[in-house]
Amino acid sequence: MLHAVDVHKNYGDYVAVAGVTLFIDEGEFVSIVGPNGAGKTTLINVLTGLLQPTAGHVHYKGHDISGAGPVKLAQLGMARSFQLVAVFAELTVMEVLQAASLTRLGRGMRLFHSLGSDREVRENAEHIASLFGLQDQLGVKSGQLPQGNKKLLDVASAFALYPEIILLDEPTSGVSTSDKHRIMETLVVASKEIGIKSIIQVEHDMDIVFGYSDRIVALYEGRVLADGSPQEIECNEEVMRNIIGREPVRNA
Amino acid sequence: MSTPTERTTGSTEVKHPDGKGIGLWLKLALVLLGIVLLALLPQVLSRYYIILMMPFFAYSIALLGLNLLFGYTGLISFGHALFIGVGAYSAAFLMRDGGLEYMEPLILLSVLGAVIVAVPVGLLAVRYIGIYFGLLTLAFGMLFYSFLLKFYSITSGDQGIRVEKPILLGFIDTTGIDYLTGPFYYYCLGLLVVMALVMWRIVKSPFGLTLRCVRDNSVKAESLGIGVYRYRFYAFLISAIYGGVAGVILAVSVGQVDPTMSYWTSSGNLVFMTLLGGFTSFLGPIVGAGAFILLQDQVMSLWEYWRLVFGAILALIVIFAPSGLMGLLTMGWKKVVR
Amino acid sequence: MGDVVSILMSGLFSAAILFLVAAGLQLVFGVMKIFNLAVGSFYALGAFFGATLVNWAVGEGLPQPLFFFGLLIAGILLGVIGPVIERLLRPIYDRDEAFQLLLTFAIVLMLEDITMMIWGSQPRSTGSLYLIYGTVNLLGATVPVYNLLVIAAAGTIAVGIGLLLSRTAFGRVLRAAADKREMVQSLGVNTRRLYVIVFSLGVVLSTIGGALVIPVTATMSEMGVELIVEAFAVVVIGGLGSMRGALVGALVVGYVTTLSINYYPPIEMLVIYLVVIVVLVIKPRGLFGGETA
Repeated sequence: MLHAVDVHKNYGDYVAVAGVTLFIDEGEFVSIVGPNGAGKTTLINVLTGLLQPTAGHVHYKGHDISGAGPVKLAQLGMARSFQLVAVFAELTVMEVLQAASLTRLGRGMRLFHSLGSDREVRENAEHIASLFGLQDQLGVKSGQLPQGNKKLLDVASAFALYPEIILLDEPTSGVSTSDKHRIMETLVVASKEIGIKSIIQVEHDMDIVFGYSDRIVALYEGRVLADGSPQEIECNEEVMRNIIGREPVRNA
Repeated sequence: MSTPTERTTGSTEVKHPDGKGIGLWLKLALVLLGIVLLALLPQVLSRYYIILMMPFFAYSIALLGLNLLFGYTGLISFGHALFIGVGAYSAAFLMRDGGLEYMEPLILLSVLGAVIVAVPVGLLAVRYIGIYFGLLTLAFGMLFYSFLLKFYSITSGDQGIRVEKPILLGFIDTTGIDYLTGPFYYYCLGLLVVMALVMWRIVKSPFGLTLRCVRDNSVKAESLGIGVYRYRFYAFLISAIYGGVAGVILAVSVGQVDPTMSYWTSSGNLVFMTLLGGFTSFLGPIVGAGAFILLQDQVMSLWEYWRLVFGAILALIVIFAPSGLMGLLTMGWKKVVR
Repeated sequence: MGDVVSILMSGLFSAAILFLVAAGLQLVFGVMKIFNLAVGSFYALGAFFGATLVNWAVGEGLPQPLFFFGLLIAGILLGVIGPVIERLLRPIYDRDEAFQLLLTFAIVLMLEDITMMIWGSQPRSTGSLYLIYGTVNLLGATVPVYNLLVIAAAGTIAVGIGLLLSRTAFGRVLRAAADKREMVQSLGVNTRRLYVIVFSLGVVLSTIGGALVIPVTATMSEMGVELIVEAFAVVVIGGLGSMRGALVGALVVGYVTTLSINYYPPIEMLVIYLVVIVVLVIKPRGLFGGETA
């Protein structure tokens, strides 16, 4: 579904991603892990077309999407969320979700239609809000939501595009431990409901990584150190010691 | 004592996402009252004040457009007087050289002029935000200003061009009546109401919501599939159209066009008015235009250094009351209600 | 040949003045990230105060040939308004750029009228004082020595700024501040004091520019507002925040102005803005944009 072939990304002399090859199939939940500076966010930005790779290619559903830009990718059915909360601070929850529904339906350029009387957009937004447990906060300005809900809204607005694949950059960072699991549960349920085929996430919390992923990709200094199922990664001594910071699981 | 949670739940009750609620009827009543008052002004005010108020309509229309850029799209233009200038000079040329006498084609053709200028300027400028957008629009405004000033054979330089009084609606001309304080006044009022309604429609449309997304976070907007340049460009075009209309009626109100209409300080004053009234409110810019004109008249009659006073007022607004007069009114109203 | 040299020299003279004002703009923008529309007003203040101070000094019987230093002193003395205006700007350092721009516009409005209140609308000049240093003949062109002094002074200041930024501890702090404000704070630098110093330095650069220009022209009430648009062209061509950009931008604008005045005056400003727009289309951040020194 999403193929990255030998992707490099340099910033001047600094090499952020040094040849990553990655195949994501339909139905996978993939976690990208690695220490700070391993190139995780850069890789996500390249995969979502925000950055043009210095070398290499990214293919999605048969299109070469290297540096295609997020707008094009959103149209192709790829969405993303951001590491730092990215909401429209002055817009209410309802408005944020309406805006996302509008772009999905290609109605953003309607100049003289009344937004309030567009029932389809409205119901769409309400549906997404209820999936994410935000239905009681529709009138609240996004900027005034508590941190956990801001994160949820960021993800929810990406889900409102009904994408086929979604890339989540640290969906639970900056959120209390109890909220983390709530967010992840919500996310998994919502993705089934919406019909999202693949999820790629960058995540630091290893409980979440091992609890939810089908597959784990470990990045280190811009390269793929290991790529496998949680069970395989658990036994990989190098990854467990250097990246995850735990003793590898030893079982016969 | 209200805790943050109380306040948020409170605001959901009063302000449903539709914008429906008790507040809306009150606002509607106030707006209607305002229109009625404006319509009655020529009956009660002296001619001096009515003539003084004439530019109010022009500025209000221009500011409705400017605030689509500033308040709703988050782009600050320091060159918006460019479009007022283009509209005003288009009208002046069409009358002087084209012999055109009718207001409606004058407006349409001048708006066309504004659009023709706005397309290349906009295509370039919307690639920038913040200071760069402000400065680039300033550059284009100054480019036009220096054209007006220096190409004497076409524009008559700093002497400007006299503007006649065009025929309104195909039959109202200047014979036997006080054109400016009579028919033209109501013509402008009507135009302002219509253009405000159209702008209201725009800001409450899907397009308007999308613009606010672009304003709040353009990276996030792009990730939702919103082509931010395209939206900024259309907002720019619409604001230029409003500027063009404003230019025509300003030219007729003043009876004269001259290059200072497009000077960068004129653009600065437009932003000033927007801020004075309140850029976070739909009607704020209109309130700002009225307040600016009245205040300028009052201060100037008392002291010749009106810019010193205005500079101080602007500084105070920027520092202490960034949502302007409308913001202060809303705050005051909330205190009264509570 | 004489014509060419004369154009070369007068272009260099306007570039020298423009550089001083633009350097003030860049210094403040580089460190404080505020585009200060009021530099034009500082320039005008420098011109009015410079003319007044020199005329007074000459009237008091001070030796006329020292007037060049009188102008420099006038510019430096005006540095006292720096801390006052910086204090006014302080509440908006963390606010949106639009508000910062507007506050400096408010300062433009106020300074315009304050200048008018003090000096009135009558033009002021120092008469033919600038000819006291005589003229030199350069390859057939007659150039006032005063103009050469101004060019030399601007050149010295440019080199001085360059050395300050690259060789001194203070310069390192400035460059660090331009990159990341938080970083400087974590280095233990008192940003509040740093901003006062930087802003006052910026004021002095602009006021010296205004003071030095006055002997060859006369003050006009509009001179500040007009200069800001030229200084703006300089920094946009050169790249916001870059000192090298200020130098190159000043040369470009100085020569474009001089050439058009010599060959086809109506297009003077038009050409400047065309250059601005062309530069922005080709290099959106200006020729030296993104540099901090």
